[in-house]
Amino acid sequence: MPPAAKLPAASPVEVAVDFDSSVQSLSALDAAAYRLIGTATCRVDRVGDRYVCRLASSANPQKGAVLTSDALKERFLNLVADENLRTRVAETTEGVRNVILALAFGSLAANQNDAG
Amino acid sequence: MARFLPPEAFGAATEDLSLLPFSLERTGTRQYLVANVVGDFIRLTEDELNRLVDLQVRPGDGLYEKAYAAHLITGTNQKAQRQLLAARLRSRMSFLQQMTPLHIFVVTLRCEHSCPYCQVSRQSTDRSRFDMSEETAMRALDIAFASPAARIKIEFQGGEPLLNFPLIKMIVAAAKQRSGKKLDFVIASNLALLDDTVLDFCKANNVLLSTSLDGPADLHNKNRPRPGANSHELAVAGIRRAREILGPDRVGALMTTTEASLDRVDEIIDEYLQLGLDGIFLRPLSPFGFAIKTKQFAKYDAQKWLAFYERGLRRVLEINRQGTPFREFYAALLLTRMLSDRPIGYVDLRSPAGAGLGALVYNYDGSVFASDEGRMLAETGDDAFRLGHVHHDSYNSLILSDKLIAAISSSLTQCAPECSNCVYESHCGADPVYHHATQGDVLGIKPLSAFCARQKGIMGLLLDILENCPEDAVILRRWAAA
Amino acid sequence: MTLPLYGTASQSAGFCSNAARSVVRLRSVDSAAERHAADFALAGTREEFQRAVEADWPSILVVSDGSIDLPGAFKGRLVAVPPKYDYLADGDVIGFDHASRKFRTLYRRKSAHNSFLVTERCNNYCLMCSQPPKDIDDRWILSEIKESLPLIDPATRALTFTGGETLSDWEDFIAVLKECRDRLPATAIQVLTNGRAFADSRIVDAWKDICHPNLIAAIPVYASVDHIHDHVVQARGAFDETILGILKLKDRGQRVEIRVVLHALTAPIIEDTGRWLARNLPFVDHVALMGLENTGFAIANDAVLWMDPVDYGDGLARAVDHLSAAGVNVSVYNLPKCVLPKSVWPHALQSISDWKNGFVEECDRCDEKNTCSGFFTTGRPRFSRGVRAITAQRDELTTLAD
Repeated sequence: MPPAAKLPAASPVEVAVDFDSSVQSLSALDAAAYRLIGTATCRVDRVGDRYVCRLASSANPQKGAVLTSDALKERFLNLVADENLRTRVAETTEGVRNVILALAFGSLAANQNDAG
Repeated sequence: MARFLPPEAFGAATEDLSLLPFSLERTGTRQYLVANVVGDFIRLTEDELNRLVDLQVRPGDGLYEKAYAAHLITGTNQKAQRQLLAARLRSRMSFLQQMTPLHIFVVTLRCEHSCPYCQVSRQSTDRSRFDMSEETAMRALDIAFASPAARIKIEFQGGEPLLNFPLIKMIVAAAKQRSGKKLDFVIASNLALLDDTVLDFCKANNVLLSTSLDGPADLHNKNRPRPGANSHELAVAGIRRAREILGPDRVGALMTTTEASLDRVDEIIDEYLQLGLDGIFLRPLSPFGFAIKTKQFAKYDAQKWLAFYERGLRRVLEINRQGTPFREFYAALLLTRMLSDRPIGYVDLRSPAGAGLGALVYNYDGSVFASDEGRMLAETGDDAFRLGHVHHDSYNSLILSDKLIAAISSSLTQCAPECSNCVYESHCGADPVYHHATQGDVLGIKPLSAFCARQKGIMGLLLDILENCPEDAVILRRWAAA
Repeated sequence: MTLPLYGTASQSAGFCSNAARSVVRLRSVDSAAERHAADFALAGTREEFQRAVEADWPSILVVSDGSIDLPGAFKGRLVAVPPKYDYLADGDVIGFDHASRKFRTLYRRKSAHNSFLVTERCNNYCLMCSQPPKDIDDRWILSEIKESLPLIDPATRALTFTGGETLSDWEDFIAVLKECRDRLPATAIQVLTNGRAFADSRIVDAWKDICHPNLIAAIPVYASVDHIHDHVVQARGAFDETILGILKLKDRGQRVEIRVVLHALTAPIIEDTGRWLARNLPFVDHVALMGLENTGFAIANDAVLWMDPVDYGDGLARAVDHLSAAGVNVSVYNLPKCVLPKSVWPHALQSISDWKNGFVEECDRCDEKNTCSGFFTTGRPRFSRGVRAITAQRDELTTLAD
C-alpha cells in the first residue's frame, strides 16, 4: 500500500490590501490594525505612493474561527472605513468637544451668559 | 388677529447645524451603534450615519429629530445642549469627589478552607504570625481617617477574618471612638466560625456580613474544600442565622465562578432564591493568587463566561416576570451608568481607575496595596501595586505615590487606543491591576482582554433586551432607579 | 359651570377720583377682625346691609338683584353686584375700577386654587394658549397685586402666579415675590413661566436671591427637539432658552416643575419626550403631563391640536413609566380616569381649578368620581369618545372582551 499522502501543514491565511497614501491616513490604518490584534497581524509598508497592508490571520484567534482571506480583507476594509469616519467626526467636533469639557470641568464663571 | 406660523418656519438652516462629539461601532451589515459624549445610545443605518456626518439632515426628516434628541447635532449658535452635556458629564465624573471611601483590613491570612481558586493565598490555621498586629491596625486606621471622604467603609477580610475576631472588635471600637466620619463595617467571612458572640457583636455595632455562596452544595463544596466537607452547610446555616438575627438587608452573599459553575447557573440562582436573598452578583473568575497557580484562570474564556452570564440574566428576568423581585447586581450597576448620570464609585468600573483612589488595602503585615487583587499579586512576588507601608507612609504619600499615579494615568480609558473612541467607554472602566496581571501592562491590549470582551458582551446584551423585550426592559429600568 | 370671576357692578358710590382703582377685601358683617382701610362689609340681603350700616362699616359691598337705596346717614363707599356673584365670602379680595365699575375677583380665601394674573404680555405665542397674549402696558396689574398682598390670609396654603409671561417685568415681579416671602411666609408660591428669562444669569440670580422658603417655577417643555417645541410655542429659539433657563435654575438650587400640555403635536411623541426628560433632566422637582384646556387659541387651532386622549394613552403610560423609573415625581393633570390607562391612575390628580371644574351626567354612575379630575368647563369642552362611568361591571365586561 502506498503511504497516505501527507497533508501540507496549514499555512496562515494571508492577504494584502493597499491604499492611496494621499487620501488614506496612516493613523487610521494603525487603529484598524490595533482592533485586529488577536484575529490577525498587520504589517504596513509604504511602497511608492501607496500604503501596503499585509494581513495574516492568527493561528489561534482570540475570538471566533480563523478568517478566510476574503473575510479578513473585508473585515480590515470595514475597520479602516470606520476609523476614517471616526477621524472625520473627531476633527469636526474637536472644538465643541473642548467647549463641553471646559464647561464641565473649567471653573464655573459667575457670568455664564457668554458660555458657548 | 392671531397669526400662526407653520412648522417649516421653525427649522434651522443646514448652515446653522453643528455635529456634537460621538463614537460609533459597526454592529452588522450597514448597521451602527452610536453613543454621544455622555454615553446615550442610538442605532443608525450606515446611510443615516453618513447623512448625519455630512449634516444632510432637515427638520422633519425623522433623522434630524432622532439625532437632535440624542445630542448628536445642535444649532451652531445654540447654548442649551452644550451646557446640558457639560452638566451631565460633570455628574457622571463626580465620583472623583468621593476619595477612597473603602478601606480593607486583612486581619489574618489564616483560613481553614483551601479553595483552589482563592485569591487570598492562604496559610494554614495555626501560624499566628500571619495575623495583623494591633499597632499595624491602629496605623492603618490613622491612614483611613486621613482620607477626605466623609463616610468610609471598613471591610474585614482574610484568610478567614473571624480567626482574628479580637482584632476586629478592637478596630471597630477604636474607629468609633474617632470623630469626623460616618462609618460602615463589613466582615467578609465564610461564616463557618459564625457564633452568637460574633452575631451579637455585629448587631450591636451595625456590622454587615458578606459571605460566599457559589451554588448548590456539591458545587460550593467542590470549590471550597474544607476538612469535614461541609462548607456549604455552614455557609447556608450562617446566612440563615445571620439574616434572622441581624435582618435580611444586613447579610449579603457573593458567588465566585469556576469552570464547574459554567453549566449550572440556573441552580446557582435557585440556591440564592431559596435563601431569600434579594439578588446575585454573577462574577467572573479573577486571575489572581492560587487561581493562576492552579491554572483555574486558563480554563475558560470570555465567550463561555458570557454564555453563562446571559443564561443567568435571562433566568433572573424570568423570576422577576413571575412576580419575585430579584436582581443581578452587576447588570444593575451597568444599567445605572447606562440609564442615568448618577456617579457610581464601584472600583472596577471607573476611569480614572479605582485602585487607591477608590480603595486601600492594609495587609496583615502593614503593607498597603492599591486593591485586593494588587495584594494577591504581591503573594506571587509581583509588587507592582504595593504602595507603601503603614509604618512609614501617610494617606497622601500613598495616594500621590508615583506608582499609583503612573498606573492610573497610563490606564485611562479616555486616552487609550480603542477605548478612547469605543462606543461603550462612558460606561466602562480601567482595570490596571487585571491588565497588569494578565498582560503585563496596566493599559493592556484591549482586543486581547477578557475584561473588554466581557464588558462589551454584557452591555450589548443589556441594550438588546432594553430594545427588544419591553417587559424585561421595564424590569431593567427599575434596577437602574435611584 | 364656570365661576364668573369678572364682572361689572350694577351700582357704586363714594369712590374718590384721585385713584382709578381700588383693591377691596370683603368681611362678613359680624366680623370681629381688625378693620383695614380696604375692608368692605359683605351684605347678601337688605337686612345684612342695614346691619352693616348700623355697625358703622365705612364701606359695604352688596350682592343684590335690585338697586340699593342709601340711607342718608351713610357717607361711605358702596358697590353692588348682581346675584351670580353670591360665591363671594369673608376674606375674598376683588379689584375694582372706579370709572367703569368693572371688577375682578383676585383671591378667594376658601379656594385651594388662587391664581394672580400678572400680565397679558408674553414672548411666546403658544398654539393652545388659554390666555392669548396682548401687547399692552398692563403694569398696573403688578401694582394691584402688591396692594392685595397685605389683605391675603397668611394661612393660605398656596398661590399661583400666571399670565402671559410672568417674568415680562422681572424686576417688579421679583419684588412682588419678595413681598410674598415677607407677608405670606407660610404660603407656597408657584410661578408659571416659559422659563426663557432664566437663560439670563442676572434674572436667575435675582430669582435665587429672593430666598423664598417654598417657591417653584413651572415651565413647559413640549418636545425633545428644538423646532417642534418652537413651533408649538410659536417662537424661534424658545427651546434653547427654556432648557438653558432650567439648567441655570437648577444650578442655583431652585425648584422646577416641567409641564407638557398634551395635544396632537405633543402627545404622539410623549414617550420620546418623557424618555428625554428622564434621561436629561431627572433632577427636576416634578413633571406634570396635562390634558388640553380647549379655550383661547386652542379653539382657533382646534384642527391642528385636537387629539382624543384614548389615542395617546399607551404613549402616555410609557412616558410615565420612563419618568418614574428614573425617580422623577410625575403627575397627570386634567384628564379623567376613564380615558387613562390604569397604570397611570396613581399619578392622575384632581388638578382643575375649582372655578372651572365640572363633570358630565355619565359621571354620576362612576365609582371613581371622587378621585377624578373631571373636565374643564371653560371654552368649548371637547369630550373623548372614551368617557364613561367606571363600574365593577364595566371591568368585568372589559375582561371578557379581552
